[in-house]
Amino acid sequence: MTVSEKGSSPGGRASASDAGQFIHHHTEFPTTWLSQVVDGVISAIGKCASWLWIVVTGVIIYAVVGRYAFGQGSVTLEEVQWHLAGAGWLLGLGYTLVTDDHVRVDVLHERLSLRGQAWIELLGLVFLLLPFLGLAVYEMIPYAFSSWQQGETSQAPAGLPYRWILKGILALSFVLLILAALSRLLKVTALLFGFPKPIRIESEDNKKEDAS
Amino acid sequence: MELETLFVIGMFLTFGALLMTGYPVAWVLGGTAVIWTVVGVVAVENFGANLWFDYSSSMGLVPERIWKVVSSETLVALPMFIFMGIMLDQSGVAEKLMNSMVKLFGAVRGGYAVTVIVIGVLLAATTGIIGASVVLLGMLSLPVMMENKYDKGFAVGTACATGTLGILIPPSIMLVLMADRLAVPEASVGDLFMGAFFPGLMLGAMYVAYAIIRPMLQPHIAPVPEGTEKVTWAIVWEVAKAVVPTAALILGVLGSIFAGIATPTEASGVGALGALLLALMSGRLNLKVLNSSMQQTTRTAAFIFAIFLGATAFSVVLRGLGGDQVIEDALLGLPFGPYGVVLTILFGVFLLGFFLDWVEITLIILPLVAPVVQSLGFDLVWFTILFAMCLQTSFLTPPVGFALFYIKGVAPPEIKVTDIYRGVVPFIIIQLAALAIVFLVPEIATWLPGVAYD
Repeated sequence: MTVSEKGSSPGGRASASDAGQFIHHHTEFPTTWLSQVVDGVISAIGKCASWLWIVVTGVIIYAVVGRYAFGQGSVTLEEVQWHLAGAGWLLGLGYTLVTDDHVRVDVLHERLSLRGQAWIELLGLVFLLLPFLGLAVYEMIPYAFSSWQQGETSQAPAGLPYRWILKGILALSFVLLILAALSRLLKVTALLFGFPKPIRIESEDNKKEDAS
Repeated sequence: MELETLFVIGMFLTFGALLMTGYPVAWVLGGTAVIWTVVGVVAVENFGANLWFDYSSSMGLVPERIWKVVSSETLVALPMFIFMGIMLDQSGVAEKLMNSMVKLFGAVRGGYAVTVIVIGVLLAATTGIIGASVVLLGMLSLPVMMENKYDKGFAVGTACATGTLGILIPPSIMLVLMADRLAVPEASVGDLFMGAFFPGLMLGAMYVAYAIIRPMLQPHIAPVPEGTEKVTWAIVWEVAKAVVPTAALILGVLGSIFAGIATPTEASGVGALGALLLALMSGRLNLKVLNSSMQQTTRTAAFIFAIFLGATAFSVVLRGLGGDQVIEDALLGLPFGPYGVVLTILFGVFLLGFFLDWVEITLIILPLVAPVVQSLGFDLVWFTILFAMCLQTSFLTPPVGFALFYIKGVAPPEIKVTDIYRGVVPFIIIQLAALAIVFLVPEIATWLPGVAYD
């Protein structure tokens, strides 16, 4: 159990950020060396993208001050806001898959053994997630590409040029999701079939669950 | 039965069944969309089904629809309010409020319960995610109330019910999402925030009234603690120090939206900065905390937006199969008159809330039913607030309300499931009463948005 560290709060008893552990029941699969590499890269991208929230806050403040102090609203700044915020959550999608924070209906799921959960994961990946992502990427890449080819810009005057950048990030985020999904698939097959070779045994909690 | 109707029912059943496997909601939605695209295309192409369905006007629309979500200026407020909530939480305000207000209200009968409700209303902003607020209030207040020999049901019911208020009371991220899906100027984020303001406060006040009146009638359920300190100015000052900055921040954010000074997005950014400063002043903010808070913001925003992606695919395919028409015909074909239709929808939402979180219901059901309700001549702000209150009631209702599971996870072991069920019943009655009041007196929701702006 990982109680989120509260840093410098000695009397820290309760906070909403501790809530995660009670809400999401993470299934810990053994990892594989390839999954470790892929997960590492995707998490690093997601963590870097998280800094965008500070940047977006800054841009909003700058825009607000500009509007009140100098009486001019700025379409450019407004577009910068949603470009940055969009990039933030798009690049976070894969990272959230790696940390297994996408919400589930837990009612039955948490009562299953680790192997049972792994089977659901396997079937879900193969029949739901990967087909969806595959189709999405198949649509998104031409979508971004045509934006680049046409040199699409904002329709608003003073809007941002280079629409293809964010559309490219949109396509990229789906590619990252596919990579994260494949990495998860390897972890599941490692547990179920011993291939590829698992390199970490499951945590104590799950062992107990598995034995029951 | 027509083919469209069959397909629409089939699609919802597929979704419901797959959801129960516990596979993430977002991907179940996306996967179901792909499965039914294949079914639709095969039915038309290979079996000559009498169905107006093709790939390009269903799944083919997904990039454009998703782009609309990405390029929404209003939706920037969603991660920003999440960030604000997490920063506010990191400033340790909940704990400070609890510690100081307990001293203030401790000597009053039922005082701890009142404290919990006041904190819950005040901190609704930090906890738009239902589980988080229930867990936070449960962890914060149950040990204290148990120590003071409060009735188990009374204690746990109060914490649980108050925790669900967070999704309703503005600035609530649920309302941001609802406004985005309604996509009509008369129900903007600002309008919904204003619409939810008085119903939210009314619920809070009704909860407080219950927490005061019930112990007066049955003193044993909330004994007055012995040997409490006398309320001194020092204590009042301590409470003020904890309450005022937070309350000022939240009222500032809401007030600037209500007064039309700031757009919700601007207010969310200013709110995030304010929460950041409060965390800084509390001395708890360091690089590590900031980093983990931002990462938590990313993960929370990403899981909501992921459901957005799945729901977008689900909705375009459902529409492609004729789902909108099927739902509209079904609702308008009901033999109960306009108010009956609204009540039916609300009851449906109440039932759905047992199985689905507000994110999915808002993204899929609300855009299906809102046009029908609007065509019947109802005020969309009024309807959406009722919709939100229904969801909130649903999360509280045994045997499967979400809030009950969350509170069980953090309740001390001596609190049994039956205590929780027993404890929330009075609050469900309060909820139903409040729903009836807003239903019968729409002005509670529609007055504020009506007088603001112009």
